[in-house]
Amino acid sequence: MSTARNIPNDRGLTIRMFTTGLMIVVLYGAVIGLLIAVGISYSVVLVIAAAILFAQYWFSDKIALFGMGGHLVTPEQAPQLHGAIDRLCALADMKKPRVAIADTDVPNAFATGRSPNNAVVCATTGLLRRLDEPELEAVLAHELSHVAHRDVAVMTIASFLGVVAGMVTRIMFWTGMMGGFGGGRSSNNSQGGQDNAVLVEMAVLVVSVVVYAISFLLTRALSRYRELAADRSGALLTGQPSVLASALVKVTGEMARIPTRDLRAAENFNAFYFTPAISPKGISLSTLFSTHPSLDTRLAQLATIEAELGRPS
Amino acid sequence: MGLFDTILGRTKPVQSNLDALFALPSASITLQSAAGQSCSGHAGVCFKPPSGQGFEEMQSEVVKLLAMDGGTGFRKAEDSYGYQWLVIEDADIEQLVTQIHLVNSSLSDAGWGPQLLCSVFGLADLPAEDPAAPPEGGAGAGLPMPEPTAGPGRVIPSTAYLVYLFKRGTFYPFVPDGHEHRDLERELKLKSLVADDLTVESDLDRWFPLWDLPVG
Repeated sequence: MSTARNIPNDRGLTIRMFTTGLMIVVLYGAVIGLLIAVGISYSVVLVIAAAILFAQYWFSDKIALFGMGGHLVTPEQAPQLHGAIDRLCALADMKKPRVAIADTDVPNAFATGRSPNNAVVCATTGLLRRLDEPELEAVLAHELSHVAHRDVAVMTIASFLGVVAGMVTRIMFWTGMMGGFGGGRSSNNSQGGQDNAVLVEMAVLVVSVVVYAISFLLTRALSRYRELAADRSGALLTGQPSVLASALVKVTGEMARIPTRDLRAAENFNAFYFTPAISPKGISLSTLFSTHPSLDTRLAQLATIEAELGRPS
Repeated sequence: MGLFDTILGRTKPVQSNLDALFALPSASITLQSAAGQSCSGHAGVCFKPPSGQGFEEMQSEVVKLLAMDGGTGFRKAEDSYGYQWLVIEDADIEQLVTQIHLVNSSLSDAGWGPQLLCSVFGLADLPAEDPAAPPEGGAGAGLPMPEPTAGPGRVIPSTAYLVYLFKRGTFYPFVPDGHEHRDLERELKLKSLVADDLTVESDLDRWFPLWDLPVG
């Protein structure tokens, strides 16, 4: 009896993702240490940032649906969509998320929600129109992988640092402008002290800016790795990586043909999407800034999985 | 899926869980005495075929095994969701369950467990043994009590189904009623009837419908 495929875990991807996450944690530590060294008032910043981020995480499903104009659909309203998701969830032994459809011709899909118990998977009418059923299923498998991997929670925690650093930067900037960076000189005695305070303030500002920049790049890198991981899990779930590849090519190719107006509306929400809503003609961002890996990278990974599946053993 | 797998974004494919299948013949007997229903002799295994040579070869081996085991009434089918079925017909319920188990365990032992979606067993109302005979006493359908065999003795069309979910090792009833409509009341009734023999899926969300079922 022939033995089954034995797809090894992708060690390289795992190591890169782990390293990225670790560096984000190290930066967390550095920033918190810095805030404590500077004074209690910055803990207020932390608390506010934490509260905002927690609200964003807790209500992520409602926020995302509202932002992208998605509405929940029942099995009677969308039987094929529900049917495909039903079966994928039974294959993956996971709880079925709520299903939504967004009315826009931009072909895309996203998954959101704070946990697998409170998840929503949404497909746009543009996607439903353009893909055939196996391709739609492959995209849904990718989205369900995001739900299973708890990507909303992971990315929220990872972006926390960027939020804090950004807030500190802005507060420092405004305080600096108002206070004139140390104020006027009053007496000789306090001269040295005032200069020290100015130096500390400027140091905090500079560090905040640098931390913000680094955390931004790291968070984007983590997002790209999570997307690759979802591609991989989705392809293994359906067992048909080439179908996912074909869906990717179709969707990315279609983006180029959509009138610019629609795309501009969708570009803000790239982090949520199956593939970034940027037309190839309009790309000016480098890969470092992108939330999604390039099409070529994704296709290469899928081709590797296809080869591993096809290997007779 | 553990916490570590979540952090690293890895999904472990879920394996299947097969022993519960052998409880089906006794469930069929219970249904016979309680509701005049039993297994119809139709059954099928549903799986998502992955790409690649490995699975194709596996499928032909399974078909050969079935033939060797004396099975004759089996065929391949495909449904509108792109899933494939191996449909088996056998009037002997014990033999039917054994064959379904054979298909599942062969695929699963070879490592294709993650591709298996479910198995389906058809149910049907038992025909009256002798329509002209006066109804014998006792509550119920008024049918004369048949011998406690696990089936009608021949293959008859199904009106309801018991679906076995591999990944959960549980059953749930499915009663289609016209086009894309299901009779939930009868399903819940079936559930209460077989709950003692079979592990019924407790989460109603997981009772997903199988609309264009190629199992007769």
